[in-house]
Order: sequence, then C-alpha cells, then structure tokens
Amino acid sequence: MRIVHYINQFFAGLGGEASAEVEPYAAPAPIGPSLAFNAELKDGVITKTIVCGDNYFASHTKEAVSKLIAILEKEDFDIFIAGPAFQAGRYGFACGTMCNAVKDYFQKPVFTSMHEENPGVEMFKRDIIIFRGGKSAAAMRQDVSAVASHVDRYIQGLSPLGAEEEKYFERGIRHQIYDPQYATAAERGVAMLLAKMKGEKYQTELPVPEKENVPIAEAVKNIAKARIALITTGGIVPVENPDRIQSASATRWGRYNISEMDTLKKGEFKTIHAGFDPAAANEDPNRIMPVDTMKELLHTHKFGSLHAYFYSTVGTGTTEKEARRMAKEMIPYIKEDQVDAVLLVST
Amino acid sequence: MTLKISNFYVEEVRMGTVTQFDGHVLTIDKEAAIRFLMDSDCHITDVDILIARPGDDTRIVPVKEAVEIRFRPDGRALFPGITGDLAACGEGELYALKGCSILGVGKHWGSFGDGLIDMGGIGADLTIFSKLINICLVIDTDEEFERHEQQKQNHAIRWATHRFAEYLGKVLEGKTATDCEDICFTPLGKREASMFQLPSIVLVMQAQSQMEDLGYNALLYGWDMNRYLPSFISPTEILDGAILSGSFMPSSSKWSTYDFQNFPTIKELLKKHGTELNFLGIILSNLNVSLEQKERSAIMVVNMAKTLGADGAIVTEEGYGNPDADYVKCLIKLKKAGIQAVGISNECTGRDGMSQPLVVMDPELDALVSTGNVSQLIELPPCKTVIGELQALSRDGLSGGWSFDENLGPSIRNDGSIILENNAMFCGDQVAGWSRKMMKEF
Repeated sequence: MRIVHYINQFFAGLGGEASAEVEPYAAPAPIGPSLAFNAELKDGVITKTIVCGDNYFASHTKEAVSKLIAILEKEDFDIFIAGPAFQAGRYGFACGTMCNAVKDYFQKPVFTSMHEENPGVEMFKRDIIIFRGGKSAAAMRQDVSAVASHVDRYIQGLSPLGAEEEKYFERGIRHQIYDPQYATAAERGVAMLLAKMKGEKYQTELPVPEKENVPIAEAVKNIAKARIALITTGGIVPVENPDRIQSASATRWGRYNISEMDTLKKGEFKTIHAGFDPAAANEDPNRIMPVDTMKELLHTHKFGSLHAYFYSTVGTGTTEKEARRMAKEMIPYIKEDQVDAVLLVST
Repeated sequence: MTLKISNFYVEEVRMGTVTQFDGHVLTIDKEAAIRFLMDSDCHITDVDILIARPGDDTRIVPVKEAVEIRFRPDGRALFPGITGDLAACGEGELYALKGCSILGVGKHWGSFGDGLIDMGGIGADLTIFSKLINICLVIDTDEEFERHEQQKQNHAIRWATHRFAEYLGKVLEGKTATDCEDICFTPLGKREASMFQLPSIVLVMQAQSQMEDLGYNALLYGWDMNRYLPSFISPTEILDGAILSGSFMPSSSKWSTYDFQNFPTIKELLKKHGTELNFLGIILSNLNVSLEQKERSAIMVVNMAKTLGADGAIVTEEGYGNPDADYVKCLIKLKKAGIQAVGISNECTGRDGMSQPLVVMDPELDALVSTGNVSQLIELPPCKTVIGELQALSRDGLSGGWSFDENLGPSIRNDGSIILENNAMFCGDQVAGWSRKMMKEF
C-alpha cells in the first residue's frame, strides 16, 4: 500500500526557526523520517513526503491545510502518516490538524506520534490514533517502529491489539474481546475485592474519567436588558424534521425561527426523541421547549429580548464528543446576536 | 445450611422408546415427553423436542429460558411455588445432570428479552450454552394477547422448561453420582471466631424487576420481585431453585434459571470461603424503575451489609441502562458506609464503542469488572440448521435484532447470515460470572 508522510521543515533538513515559514511543498523523493519508516515497514511504502514550516502552518492554518490537500489530491495513496512530533507543540498541532483533515476529506486511515506532554495529544487524541512517542528525536527509531508495526497489521488485515498493547493514547473507544485464556468474571471480581481489601494494587476494568465539570455561569447582571436564547436536547422540531435530526445518537441539529410566534403549536412542532414517551410533548411542544412561557415573560418585560431562533437536537445516546461539536457549531450564531444567557432545556 | 449436590455427567442425549439415563447417555421417549408437556398446560398448542450439540452447525432462536435438569430425592418440587407446592430451598439433597440444559424456544414468535445461540463457529464463543448439549423445547402457544407484543411473559414456554427439568430429573432416581459438592454454609452466629479474622464479604445480587406489570420479572419462591424489598438469603437457596429467571431484560444481560442454579460468582466465593474470606451470604435486591424504589432498596442493602458486619461486598446487576442507577447507587453507598465494594456488570459503549459505558459514571467507582458490551456489532455466517425461527430475530423486536437499518440492512440477510448487536446473544455477557470477555480501549 502507498503511504504519504507529512513532516516539518526541520525534519526535511531545512533547519529550525529560520525556515519555519516555509510554505507547503512535496519533496521530489521520500526524505528524512520517511526513510526510517521505509526501513521499518514490511508491507507498505512511503511514496511521497510532504513538508510545511511549523510557523507557516500555525499562523496560516487554513491556507496550509488547503494547499496540502491540493497536493494530496494528485497523489494515489492509501494511508497517511504525520510526524513523529515528539514534544514539539507547533509540529504536534500541524500533525494532528493534517491527520484530521485527511481523515475527513479522503476518508483514509491516519496515524501520528507525539510525546504525552505535546499539547496536540489533548487536542486530537479523541479523533485520531496518536502513538505514545518519546520526548525528542533521540526516540525516532522506536517511535517510527511503533507506528510502522501498527500500519503493517492494518495492511495485513489483522485486528488491532488495543491502545495499551500498541502504545497509543486511549480514544474512549471500548470494545469487548473474548479470550478463553482470560480468567472468568467471577474469578476477576473476587480477586479484585480481596486485593482492594488488603490494600494491594489492582486494576479496575472500567476506569471512570474525572468529570469535566463545566463551571456554572455567572448570574446575569441585568435581566431586564438581557437577550436570552433557547436550546433543547429534547428533540423538538417542525413536524417534517427538516434537518433530519436522528431520534437517538444524534449528530445533527437544527435552529428554528420563533420570532413570529407566541407558542409552539401542536401539529406544527413535535419531538423526535426516542428516549421517552412522546405523547405529552407532541400534545404540547412547549412542555419541552417553553416558547409560550418565554414569550409571556418577554411581553411582561421580565427580560430584555429573545433570540429569534431556538436550537434543537436529541440527547439520548449522543456521545459527549458529538454534543461538544454541535455546541461549538451553535455558539457563533448565538454570539453574533449578542446573546447574554442561554436557557438549556432538557427532558 | 448444608446442601449436597450430587453430579451426574451426560455425554449424549438421544431419542428412544423409554426415558432413562445409563450413566452416560440420556434417552428421551419423545412421544411421552410431548404428551406430558401438552397435558400440563392447555396453552401449549405445539411441541417438538430437538437436540443441539456443541460444534453443530446450528443456530437456535428465539431462546427464552434455560434450565438445568435436577432431581430431589425427598420429593420436594424442583422449583417450589412454580412446579409444585412451596417448600424451603437451600438444604438437603439435590441431584444435577451436568453438561446439558433444557432450552425454551419459540416455534415462531420472539420477544424483547429472547436470545440467539450458535452451537458452532465464531458465534459459539459468545454464549456458554454452545458448550452444553441443549434439549430444545420448540413450542407454540395460544397466548394471543401477547402474540404481537414486543414484551411477552412467555409463560407457557418458560413454565414448560421448568416442568420438563423436573420431569427428566426423575431419571436420576436411585442412581449413583460421579461426584458430589457438599456446600456446608455455617450459620453466621455459629461460626468459629477464626472465621472472622478473614475479610467478611457479602454478595449483593440485583435481579431483574423493571416491569410494573406482573408476570415478566424474576420470581423468588414464586413471588414477583417488582413487589419485593431486599432480603438476606443463603447462597444455597439460590443454587437450589429458590429463584427463577424473568422475561424482560435484553438477552445478553439476562440471568437465566440455569445461571441462578450454577451462579459462578457464588461458587467462587464458596470456593474461597474459610481460606481467603468469610462469605456472609447474599443480599438479594431488585431493579425497580422509580428513583424512590431505587433509593429504598439501596438503603436496605447497605444497612443489611452493615448489620451483618460486612467488610467487603460484590455487587452485580442483571441488566444495563436504567438498572445502572441501582448498581452505582449501591456501590457508592457501600463505599460511604466503609464497606469496600467491587461491581460486576456489562457496559453499553455503543456500536462505535464511544458511548458512556454506564448510565451513571461516578468517579468514586474505583473497582469494576466488565463482562462485555451489549451493543457490540456481531456478524455471523449462515448455519445449516435453525431451531426455532430465524425471522424472529429481525421481525419480533428482539433487543439486538432489527428489520431495517439504513446503513446495515436488516439483521437477517438473504443467504441466512446475520448481523446483530450482542444484546441478542442468549445470556451472552455472562454477568453471573462465566464471562471470559473483557473490555479494551482501541
């Protein structure tokens, strides 16, 4: 299989800071770390090395990505590798951004490697496979080898061994594995309890992540002048569901103009949420999305103004990642209208 | 309490002219057996008895219940309150026929909690019942009121399996067992002081009771566990037929009656009892849906554990989703009461593996065993023989099967191969403690 490899100006041999403004280009032949990969890979080969200066990528990200994508469009390739980026922050950002862009645009597998302190890890580890790399180029050989053996397994059609065995950052993707060699759940449970009671080391099989608590917003200072927007995860939409929002595990959302109405009428709006009995919500959609009450409060001057749209998606089965993305897509509209506070109504 | 289980090992099951067990082969007089089943329930309209053996290229669906064949020399009912008069369980002599089970299979109609068993191929790794010789009762009934309901009580089929386990158990009468398990569970007040030098541990079992309507939930001595409060119970009672499986939970999360009769987590605690730990017994709780009911059950479980002097507890739930709230609540409350706790359950991480594994994720949960992912997508090749009706998987609302999916197509393909969620593998997550599955990050 053919692989394209992204590296920065330093590993392309152009030097450090002085050449960091270099714009994207394709090297005439594989160079630098690409050669290290080709020495390690058994079943794939890097056919092209593409390069961009870290500063240029960081300060002209959009242009850099589109120029690199344009180069890749002329390339026949099956897999994309970036880095290793070690602890270099801007390089890590470029590797993560390019992997994400290639994954989305070409739907091809992408891999990179970074040290755990590289900020790129936190930014991209949920989206792409990032191998646990060393701090500096001294770790080049082992970092390249970790990525290469995974790529070889992929090419051979073998199932991945998992994040721990192959040493990449957990992405929050959990699947079951059957192995007759595993102890039974009964044996594991009793052994875990005895170890726990003796104060010995044990490993929970379901690590619970620290909660990413969102701080409570500050109180609205002057409610009489405040502009309020409404968002729901209760799936209230116009009856024809124009944005085709899914009834569970939603990835889509919609916004609907309510500036000309005082209430959400039965028959015009409904819920498409599959996680609760819809009868009450369909009878009166305001029970989920309280447009009627908000308009009443508005007319009696209990607050300043109401944003012209309400926003809606479905919360049941929807992953945190998708919820985060949808919120980020809604926010610009809300900010643009200088909204002071959002009422998030769930079910 | 002392329970003596005498084990007999069956190597082959076949049909013949007389029902008997010669120490190796179980022979069933099919005609007499069918007559017995038809005569004992007027709602059964059709019965066939088919044998499925480990390694066969056979798929069984929709499976509603599994029971181990047993016999009581003293004449008590095998399942008191169900197959006969109420009587105490947990003491005395019990004969068990190992290596086989009786399965209750719908001739046509499936329901939400029914499952699928593959006897061979990769599907055989996903349920323990592929390792047993299965005596399949393929039954049709006249239970018209629930014919097209997704939730079915499956009363006639489930009761037939319980009755038939007792019926076949009679072949063991007067026979000499191969081996014997003597479970001597000394009453707490009579234990040697040295026992209390060991860590004292209770097992909290949360059996399925989510249906408000009666007839779908687990039964304790014939009593519906939705109308029940946590009680202290001897492990020997559970192993001895005091509790029967219900007909509600998605199949992979279910504890069948066979699971209760052989509950591996109980067996593991008994194995270490007296050497590594002091097993205090079982607090049998439930999984009702309203928050107040959950809170009440958790309070009672924890107070019972405290009163018993437990230092540690294992909590295990028959279910996922809504019942996770009960599971987590119990684990957290036990921890707050100073009782170290470990949970054993499955997860629901979605088809893509990215969903939140439990409905409630409390950072205080620091010791959990995971037995599988209910929503794992599984593709299985066609099987030469189907016992039951394959269409039930996609037609009848089995959790884990579907008739339409815009990306995956229907669960059953034209060539007989299938795609399903693990949810539909019969008792597939083996939460009772059999599971050799683990969850991994990818």
